[in-house]
Amino acid sequence: MKKFAAIYTILGLLFMLILPTMNLEAQSIAQGDQSGGAFFSGMAKFWENSGFYNFEFRQLLMIVIGLVLIHLAIKFKYEPLLLVPIGTGLIIGNIPLPATEGATIGINDEGSVLYYLYFGVKEGIYPSLIFLGIGAMTDFSSLISNPRLMLLGAAAQIGIFATFIGAVALGFAVNEAGAIAIIGGADGPTAIFASSNLAPHLLGSIAIAAYSYMALVPVIQPPIMRLLVSKKERVIRMKPPRAVSKLEKILFPLIGLLLTAFISPGSLPLLGMLFFGNLLKESGVTNRLAETARTSMVDIVTILLGLTVGASTSAALFLSISSIKIFLLGAISFAIATAGGVLFAKAMNLFLKKGDKVNPLIGAAGVSAVPASARVVQLEGLKSDPNNHLLMHAMAPNVSGVIGSAVAAGIMLSFFM
Amino acid sequence: MTFLIDIENWNWADIYVIAGVGYSVVFLVLVLLILVYKLIPKILNIRIKKRLKKEGKEIDSTASEQYVAGEVNAAIATALMLYFNEQHDEESNIITIKRVARTYSPWSSKIYGVRNVLSR
Repeated sequence: MKKFAAIYTILGLLFMLILPTMNLEAQSIAQGDQSGGAFFSGMAKFWENSGFYNFEFRQLLMIVIGLVLIHLAIKFKYEPLLLVPIGTGLIIGNIPLPATEGATIGINDEGSVLYYLYFGVKEGIYPSLIFLGIGAMTDFSSLISNPRLMLLGAAAQIGIFATFIGAVALGFAVNEAGAIAIIGGADGPTAIFASSNLAPHLLGSIAIAAYSYMALVPVIQPPIMRLLVSKKERVIRMKPPRAVSKLEKILFPLIGLLLTAFISPGSLPLLGMLFFGNLLKESGVTNRLAETARTSMVDIVTILLGLTVGASTSAALFLSISSIKIFLLGAISFAIATAGGVLFAKAMNLFLKKGDKVNPLIGAAGVSAVPASARVVQLEGLKSDPNNHLLMHAMAPNVSGVIGSAVAAGIMLSFFM
Repeated sequence: MTFLIDIENWNWADIYVIAGVGYSVVFLVLVLLILVYKLIPKILNIRIKKRLKKEGKEIDSTASEQYVAGEVNAAIATALMLYFNEQHDEESNIITIKRVARTYSPWSSKIYGVRNVLSR
């Protein structure tokens, strides 16, 4: 091992010594002087093709951002299943590549491996498959048992439409604003689906903003919840959800599919897959398919989606004023969505009888970050009353938020496509 | 790409209309789902009541009887599972030692499996 290291150190030193002369040789070859010889010409070519020669400072910055995402995922466990692939993708996508014609290395070079892997993002295939997996792993029984909680999922979608107005006000084109708005739904796959159709050039920024804010749910939501919900309201106990029959569970995806697809056909690729996945789970006769959809398949798609979204985020596109605006809009929209859900829950309580009141904290779960925001609601509820478990109740607005944001994306597509 | 609104020459009224209509449609979809899901248990209950009537059983149709909390079901299911898992076969309670005669084989011989201590 020591010998091996010594040989390579000597070779490295030799290379460093040759390097300055090599540049001179490269210049002389370029000027038509053929006396450099094949060796120097080969080495010069090698040097020109290396990442060091094509390096730009902003690419280094992007690589650092990628490393920060990986650090956040490993050290603080912020959505590691997403941030590790995206962070690695950012590094891969920002390795300086030679500007050779016909090269098939980068994500935008037709024929390269990354190009074909990215096809699933560009054409909205991966988000639909992710929804299939989500459908196969989600239990809608809390929603079926207390359907009125779906209103909270609808109310929280105000984040999407407020962001739409905000994005237009900040100077984005209307179709771009439509894509950016979906960040307000806190739903990564839906945001990718909408931006791949409406504003492909902003896909990287939108996806990273959406996933970053999803990862920051435990940081962003609690202060807003504490600000808007009084201590008395935080301890409201809700009636336990009623038992849901198997038939109701089977009927839910079928009715949901027909209803949402007829009203908002644009959301069909997402909601069709979501309800299909749920039917696989609830039918009880396709357990193998449901198991594959919620485990292996969703894992494979998550890897490909994260990696290629990261790799598509090149420095030239990402390090721009519009990215900063997108991140700003994302933060505001997330706060508005959370506040929208909480305030709507408070408004609902004005019309409900004493025993039927809802704990306004669950309104924050109306954003569709499943199940992160439901988990945040549970933790906040426990802080006020250690025996008040809100998780099951919060899951209802949480999954209806997924449906709501997909419907909103479908509406945006139908307006702009 | 063709757009429903003129993306070059839009005015603010278009933007507010899109936001308003979009938000209303999201509510509409979810309100319809709520209505359907308020209705389905009632329809299913009618079916159950009809079946029970046919079988000649009495029906208690008070709301409190129809509402069964999920956690009650979970408790019943856990109790049943524990009950059935801890059930044993009926046994005679007579403990006997059954002698089994095995023919000798060097493969199972104890002599080859233990160390022979040397003795003078």
